[in-house]
Amino acid sequence: MANLLWLQGGACSGNTMSFLNAEEPSACDLVTDFGINVLWHPSLGVELGDNVKKILLDCISGKIALDIFVFEGTVVTAPNGTGEWNRFAGRAMQDWVRELSKAATYVVAVGDCATWGGIPATAPNPSESRGMQFLKREKGGFLGDGFKSKSGLPVVNIPGCPAHPDWITQIVVAIATGRGADIAVDEFHRPKTFFQSFTQTGCTRNMHFAYKVSATEFGQRKGCLFYDLGCRGPMTHSPCNRILWNRQSSKTRAGMPCLGCTEPEFPFFDLAPGTVFKTQTVMGVPKDLPLGVDKKGYIALTGAAKNAAPAWAEQDLFVV
Amino acid sequence: MSAVQTLDISPVGRVEGDLDVRVDITDGVVTNAWTSAELFRGFEIILRDKDPQAGLVVTPRACGICGASHLTCAAWALDTAWATEVPRNAILARNLGQIAESLQSQPRYFYGLYAIDMTNKKYRNSKFYEEACKRFAPFTGTSYELGVTISGKPVEIYALLGGQWPHSSYMVPGGVMCAPTLTDITRSRSILEYFKTTWLEPAWLGCSLERYEQIKTYDDFMAWLDESPAHANSDLGFYWRMGLDIGLDKYGGGVGKYISWGYLPHEDKYQKPTIDGRNAALIMKGGVYDGKTDTHVLMDQKYARENVMHAWYDEGDNDTHPFDRTTRAVSKNTPDFNGKYSWSTAVSHVDSGRLEAGPFARQMVAGGQHGEAWQHYDGLILDMYKKMGGPSLHLRQIARMHETIKLYRQAERCLAEFRLNDPWYIKPKERDGRGWGATEAIRGALCHWIEVKDGKIKNYQIIAPTTWNVGPRDGQNIRGPIEEALVGTPIADPTDPVEVGHVARSFDSCLVCTVHAHDGKTGKELARFRTA
Repeated sequence: MANLLWLQGGACSGNTMSFLNAEEPSACDLVTDFGINVLWHPSLGVELGDNVKKILLDCISGKIALDIFVFEGTVVTAPNGTGEWNRFAGRAMQDWVRELSKAATYVVAVGDCATWGGIPATAPNPSESRGMQFLKREKGGFLGDGFKSKSGLPVVNIPGCPAHPDWITQIVVAIATGRGADIAVDEFHRPKTFFQSFTQTGCTRNMHFAYKVSATEFGQRKGCLFYDLGCRGPMTHSPCNRILWNRQSSKTRAGMPCLGCTEPEFPFFDLAPGTVFKTQTVMGVPKDLPLGVDKKGYIALTGAAKNAAPAWAEQDLFVV
Repeated sequence: MSAVQTLDISPVGRVEGDLDVRVDITDGVVTNAWTSAELFRGFEIILRDKDPQAGLVVTPRACGICGASHLTCAAWALDTAWATEVPRNAILARNLGQIAESLQSQPRYFYGLYAIDMTNKKYRNSKFYEEACKRFAPFTGTSYELGVTISGKPVEIYALLGGQWPHSSYMVPGGVMCAPTLTDITRSRSILEYFKTTWLEPAWLGCSLERYEQIKTYDDFMAWLDESPAHANSDLGFYWRMGLDIGLDKYGGGVGKYISWGYLPHEDKYQKPTIDGRNAALIMKGGVYDGKTDTHVLMDQKYARENVMHAWYDEGDNDTHPFDRTTRAVSKNTPDFNGKYSWSTAVSHVDSGRLEAGPFARQMVAGGQHGEAWQHYDGLILDMYKKMGGPSLHLRQIARMHETIKLYRQAERCLAEFRLNDPWYIKPKERDGRGWGATEAIRGALCHWIEVKDGKIKNYQIIAPTTWNVGPRDGQNIRGPIEEALVGTPIADPTDPVEVGHVARSFDSCLVCTVHAHDGKTGKELARFRTA
């Protein structure tokens, strides 16, 4: 039995919608099988008005034990640090976030907005949004660099736009089944169990990457999306091709370049003209190379790969 | 003179984003209402000066609930600005993606957000109450659990096209990024079948789709209801009977005028898309229906206006076309119910004024004889509207769920029409220009306006369904559709105004596109209410 409270700040509900796609366990299973007691949730909660306020206040005072505080969306601090551009239950949402985070045993940030600021924090960041403990790559975020919840962990960051339902539910199940101490996080507070490998790991277009066969346009069944179409799969930490989306696929499998949405810089290059779905290159070499590969090594590797490419690599591998 | 009680409800909850509602109650009936949206993220400001295709990445993130609909608008807006050619496969693939998202939303909204209120203690004396609790209780109700779980299935089709739902950007100007294979198509077909045989037929309808599709009029529906216990006891039959028993057909009507942009462009008729050519190319026609005069007319983007007199923007008090908006937020957003009290703008039609958007509006438009002869026509809900004496929140629900079956058939059609060896994408030439894209998100009329200049976005404007519905008073101080729908609502117990929740939720408001909600701390508050 663990009490869970879920609130949304500068959010689109995308993480909630993603969460509701979960299957093992489903959102209902979390309640019926794992004893998660959902104190309130903006889309699912039964109470309204003052009764919501009362739940929040009881969590803050300790009358209700707040085991897991899940936050979705940015912490809106506009205008001028007051947070008044996102009010909730009678006050600035940022004030609820500060007090509830202090009261909670575990604080979990779901989605890019809550982790790094995501789309709302894209320049010029009109809502002065911040992530819970980061703003893009900058440490501190809204709660400050030193923040630790009662469990001793900092805010557990489950990034992604949105976060995959499994990434959310498995962390909740880990906490509910007494495995909170096994949650190891990386320098950006992401659970390593999910975010140590790359988006490219398991991508069905990997062989095309290896032989430097490029998808030059959309709507092609063959070819790697990294060389021309701006795919960030080799530089992005996520298990999107290990733990498939909606149990079926991933963006890169379907032909969409990875946007790098689990990394703090998303959306990359602030969406400046010429950067969307186009690989940024210098003299034909991508500016951002697969992690750990230098320019010289890349050129040598791709030269060899091109020479070694078998005929099938240029064919429609995933034929109709 | 009766005393007026003022009730501030913050948050209303379960409306996708938080909504604050203020109502004045006189003798147990709502006599005035204000709806406040309380989150500002400034997506239009973020998009300024960005890559022309930035909208494909950013706007689905305006709303995680109807992101595919935003993506549809963003793609068609660029298509018209860039004068692209879109291959028929891509039109079908965009339509299918949007339908998949809509099929997801139907059970998720009905059980997850709306039907929970049937378990409110107010209805404990209804003969349907015990059964309602058994079916609709959150998390544990038999129908709730099935409905919320099944809602994750249709978007598996979206994932087969775009890799994931929510938030794929697989629709791009000139087509789509994917090129599905035979197994993607057969798998999608199987997912649809599962949705039908697990929930739609056995749980929701209690009959086959074919039997349900024979219902063309109010009388047909009543005959269907009486035809077998399976019909009467299906979730649809049960909800219909309980809704009437607890009087949901008696309030929540609203402005009585309706808009739909129309949706699902035909794969053979919109390959060289233009703003002007859109109406005639749609399978589901658009239009405006005026209940008072019983007339249907076509809708065009040029009639849309926004007014910010009561919204927290500093752009003058005149009605403005979205191409001329500047999105300048005021810095101090103190609620003033005589002045500015919402981040939502007041949207109107230049001739018809304030309009309700949503599935109910779509069905009212679908019942018109206007448009092209080959376009979709369905007179059922309009007939119900006339036989039942006008709109109500009951009918709004029925209309929403009625559409599920039609969407299911359209999904089947897309899958049947794909030609796997034909192109999915034709690379367009980027250029400057103005574009407009529209569709119907499940919760109503959605459109994007884009102006591209010097290779970057000069202006991007969005009018979401909730902007139509949840908007505040306009320049003539006329109430918005939800505000209007709240007026006349009976409140049995002002400490538990579940009826306000019913009305607000019946619009399936989605404030995350528009904004969010809060309590203004102005005026007296009555404390303590629950909806269950």
